[in-house]
Amino acid sequence: MRRYFGRKLFTYLITFFVAATIDWLIPRFMPGDPIAVLVTKTNILSPTQAQRMVEYYTQLFGLDKPMPVQYLNFWTSLLHGNLGLSIYGNGTPVIDMIMAAVPYTLALLVPAILLSWWAGNSFGALAARRKWLDNTVLPVGYILTATPYMWLALVLSFLLAFSFRMFPLSGGYGFNLEPTLTWLFFTDLVAHWVLPFLSLFLVMFGGWAIGMRNMIIYELESDYSRYLASLGAPQSLIRKYAFRNAMLPQITGLALQLGVIVAGSLVTEIVFAYPGLGHLVFAAIQNQDYFLLQGIFLFIIIGVLLANFIVDIVYVLVDPRVRVAMRGGTA
Amino acid sequence: MQLGKTRVVALLAVVAIAASACGGSTATPTVAAPGATTGATPAPVATPATTPAAAAVNGTLPPTDTTVYPRAETLYTSGKQWGAPSTWNPFDSNMAMGVVGLQYETLFLYDPIKDAYTPWLASGGSWDSAKTTYTINVRQGVKWSDGTALTAADVAFSLNIYQNAALGSNLFTIVDKVVASGNNVVVTFKGTPAYQEFSSALYNDPIVPAAIWTAKNDANILKFLNQGGVGSGPYTYKTAAQDRMVWVKNPTWWATAALSLTVKPTYVVDIVNSSNNAALGELLSGGLDLDNNYLPGIAQIVNGGYGVTTYFAAAPYMLGGNTAWLVPNTKKAPLNDPAFRRALAEAIDPNNVVVKDYGNIVAKADPTGLLPVWSKYIDTAQVTSLGATFDATKAKADLAAAGYKLGSDGFVTNKDGTAIKLNLEVPDGWSDWMEAETLIAKDAAAAGININPTHPAYATVVNDRNGTATAAPTFDLVINNDVQIGNTPWVYYDYIFRQPQIAAGAARNRNYEQYDNAAAWALVQQLDKTPVEDTATMKTICSQLQKIQLTDEPIIPLWYNGEWSQVNNSVWTNWPSSTTNQVQPATWNGYWQMGAIYMLTNLKPVTKS
Amino acid sequence: MTAMTGTASEKSPSADDAGNVPVPAAKRARGEFLFFTLRSKKFVISVSILLLLAIVAILGPVVDSTDPLAQEMLPMRHPTLDPGNWFGTTYFGEDVFAQFANGLRASFFIGFLGGGLAAIIGMLVGFLAGYRGGWVDEILNMITNIFLVIPTLAVLLVVTSYLQARGVLFEAIFIGGTSWPWAARAIRAQTFSLRSRDFIDLAKLSGRPGWKVIVFEIAPNMSSYLFLTYILLFGGAILIAASLDFIGLGPTGGMSLGLMMFNAVTWAALQLGIWWWFVPPGVGIIAVVGALYVMNVGLDEIFNPKLREM
Repeated sequence: MRRYFGRKLFTYLITFFVAATIDWLIPRFMPGDPIAVLVTKTNILSPTQAQRMVEYYTQLFGLDKPMPVQYLNFWTSLLHGNLGLSIYGNGTPVIDMIMAAVPYTLALLVPAILLSWWAGNSFGALAARRKWLDNTVLPVGYILTATPYMWLALVLSFLLAFSFRMFPLSGGYGFNLEPTLTWLFFTDLVAHWVLPFLSLFLVMFGGWAIGMRNMIIYELESDYSRYLASLGAPQSLIRKYAFRNAMLPQITGLALQLGVIVAGSLVTEIVFAYPGLGHLVFAAIQNQDYFLLQGIFLFIIIGVLLANFIVDIVYVLVDPRVRVAMRGGTA
Repeated sequence: MQLGKTRVVALLAVVAIAASACGGSTATPTVAAPGATTGATPAPVATPATTPAAAAVNGTLPPTDTTVYPRAETLYTSGKQWGAPSTWNPFDSNMAMGVVGLQYETLFLYDPIKDAYTPWLASGGSWDSAKTTYTINVRQGVKWSDGTALTAADVAFSLNIYQNAALGSNLFTIVDKVVASGNNVVVTFKGTPAYQEFSSALYNDPIVPAAIWTAKNDANILKFLNQGGVGSGPYTYKTAAQDRMVWVKNPTWWATAALSLTVKPTYVVDIVNSSNNAALGELLSGGLDLDNNYLPGIAQIVNGGYGVTTYFAAAPYMLGGNTAWLVPNTKKAPLNDPAFRRALAEAIDPNNVVVKDYGNIVAKADPTGLLPVWSKYIDTAQVTSLGATFDATKAKADLAAAGYKLGSDGFVTNKDGTAIKLNLEVPDGWSDWMEAETLIAKDAAAAGININPTHPAYATVVNDRNGTATAAPTFDLVINNDVQIGNTPWVYYDYIFRQPQIAAGAARNRNYEQYDNAAAWALVQQLDKTPVEDTATMKTICSQLQKIQLTDEPIIPLWYNGEWSQVNNSVWTNWPSSTTNQVQPATWNGYWQMGAIYMLTNLKPVTKS
Repeated sequence: MTAMTGTASEKSPSADDAGNVPVPAAKRARGEFLFFTLRSKKFVISVSILLLLAIVAILGPVVDSTDPLAQEMLPMRHPTLDPGNWFGTTYFGEDVFAQFANGLRASFFIGFLGGGLAAIIGMLVGFLAGYRGGWVDEILNMITNIFLVIPTLAVLLVVTSYLQARGVLFEAIFIGGTSWPWAARAIRAQTFSLRSRDFIDLAKLSGRPGWKVIVFEIAPNMSSYLFLTYILLFGGAILIAASLDFIGLGPTGGMSLGLMMFNAVTWAALQLGIWWWFVPPGVGIIAVVGALYVMNVGLDEIFNPKLREM
């Protein structure tokens, strides 16, 4: 067990190292001069002002140092939690901008992923054995999982926010409020949260429901299920075992889907102008702020690796065959 | 077991939301120290005075709960802030919306429509008879938002601060000394004063309290974020977040007593731009009162009965804020040939862009490129005789006469027979310019000039246009509208003709076309040294400059980009308009001191009848 | 996640007592196949939807030959039943149906090519890792992880900033080159469980080289699984392309369904109520991808008798 995890950790560290290096290379590979972009974007300055700004920002961003030195600085600052400075934020530390946006993204993703995973798997399992439920859940599930995230966001926004004015069109919380621990603020926060959450939840729900349904059917038709049935075991017992076996691919599926889900939340946040990481990424792309992008992507890389690691642990706890197979043997 | 799962998940959801509420965003004025890089603490913040005397001055009592802004007292704006407010330092050009204008003020206001200077923090200013010394009369009775008095020492300090090399100002290349004496500030100059540049400083330079800024006046002055600073203006800092900037009314504003001016909204909330369509949605639904974004199709919306209006009720709907020029690289053949450039100017019809691309919310530019507010400096007779107008046939004739032969593919070739293919670059994502360059290319093709419209990333365009320390600029053609409206056309001629050429690289922001004409530059410097009141001399010099410009066509004016401004009349009314209330309707930097502050004093709340 | 082919062909034919020679197993298998194929409602419906959309994609631009990018600043039209105006026009008077048909074409192309490329890479990596195991597996695993973890958006940004113009081909290649990790993982897992089977040991004993074992023994046994994986990659490629187009990183010329949605949002279709501009492309994507997924399950049932009872 320890060797297994040790190996895993080592693999993850190397992956992180390579991914972080590639991530660091991104702004350096972009054509053009980010300082020039920053200076040009402000209203035209006197030539001396422009020159001064160039010097100021070059020194601030550390772009005048040779590449190997910059690379080393990158790692030392990373260990201090310093992800660099943002051009879009005119020199604001990237970590500050990320930390301001992360709570919104987590508030969207965590409930959406957990709820949709739980609800989807439950519905899928139920649908596997009841034909009437299957006939409704199946087509609905397929339509939902085939829906592009941003399209659902657009439709929900159009129907519920624009036409029927039930929810706000955009933003994290109302522009007439300041964050306070009041009931008014809390309800306003939730009202802004509902539509982005729904559009993420619905699409993911469809996917899990379909996947679980198929897996349950497969498991229920397998040899061990038949054997148990022939021994006279109660349906609930068979279903319990089938459920546990069906969960395994769903767990790995969760890890593999993380990248897709993050991308989905990106477009959802764009449609609703919800001030999370996705919105920040979009702004960074539009403003060619590669340092901000570098920081956000690094953050996402770490997050995804962590999540993968957790899923690996969970999977090992749940499936004993994996440990054997990973060591090169056969189950 | 499943029920238990529900509980856990619900709890997680609540925790997540609660965490986002706490983590969210804002720094309220009572929290110290912004980012780690500054290490500076913000100046003590003035809270709105709640004394009965102050309330009586403004006629409204401050609301008891200041974390909820009543709709009828709040003005929602958007359009200036492309990115979270990151600095409130009035000397940093990236400062948040309203820092100069709402919080800090200038000595004069300049009205470009009337071409008049209004004394503001200065009660007056005058030249001596030799026109070499300028005396500023500092207005008495003005208080900073922390209660101290604004004195001549503050004014002198605010002008002298530009000696700080970190600010990169060239004010002290023309100014010799700035000295406070009594209630006045006396400014002496080096040689003949550059009247045009100095007059620009008079209405653009913010006045800051010396008591606070003396300690900050060192090499790190731009690192001081000044969140919640002390100013003299009608508003003070309330709060800021990733997506908004909130100002609150300053009850002790001097202009209420001195000039009988009151700003009507208690709160001004500026919303950070996310996208144009989000802005449009908010504007239509009444969530925004004033929007200064470019909103495509605004003409249809104004005529569509949504309650949205613009400065002009009909075309061009918007005031002109700057000119969009077609900038050729005059160091590259065939663009180094004035005859070719002239033919190019004649081949393009900016009306095409005005109608098809913008739907008439911009106007075609005069051949001199000068904005309508400077029309008195345009030598119209000369323009008629020398100016290039759209005429495809004449363009073809001029090309042929200059020696450019038509090839078999319908495009002209260089004199040595090599093909001509000019790349026109605009930044990717600027959809209106992307459409414009397609139309321009079509026009040029009809005259035989092969233009290839491209839209690389913004950074690439800047790189190609400015060049780098090691490589000359590689562009052929770009569209550029850097220079904004101002108090004198000198800014435009400086932009066109500046010599010596600024070194290629990030700091280049003049004379992108690399046009070398010593005679023109001498005229521009002469113009700079002409007093702003001497319209006659200015006209003469401008006429000479226009002659050079119209014959040589170093850059080609296309259209006047609009001072985008559309307003929703559901909560506030009496907005700027061409008929009744002729003030600047923009919240962009530099516009408050051009009279946009009157927009706020002229506003009237809509009363529900 | 899904089952392997049922091997009906393993049984050998034999005459029964009545002297009737039963239909040879191979023929029977094929007949059985066809029977279940046509019987599977899911398969039939989904294939019909796909065919219909394919026809629209191929013939649409031919029948309605208006240029999807023609901007005439004509007044905007609501959808009506007149020919040439089924889906109305955009804000600029462009024909939505023409854009839709062209966009469908681009989507099919990306799905086909992008999905195909991803399938090939996924197979290469998956088979190799699954068959070899050991340190080859570890290294390939690491590479897969890196591809899984790197935000492909970042790489796309770098690459697109160097290309003056991007075509649909580039997008397909990019998607193909970045969406294979999950397929590789899945194929690897299947290969793992297959390689411990007897017939593989037999093949190894008889001295067949590794690649031949993979190509001739393992792959055919997984053929249905591979095909289903390809279908999922096809659908996935279309969805990814729609997302990339939506944030403005799609092809610079031409039309695609994601680009239609991007334009609709940018030009405020939502706020101005121009629902016929952004609804059709979404419905189109849902139809194509949904039909693909349903076809996937249908085929799954066809290939795997165990699932047929539903």
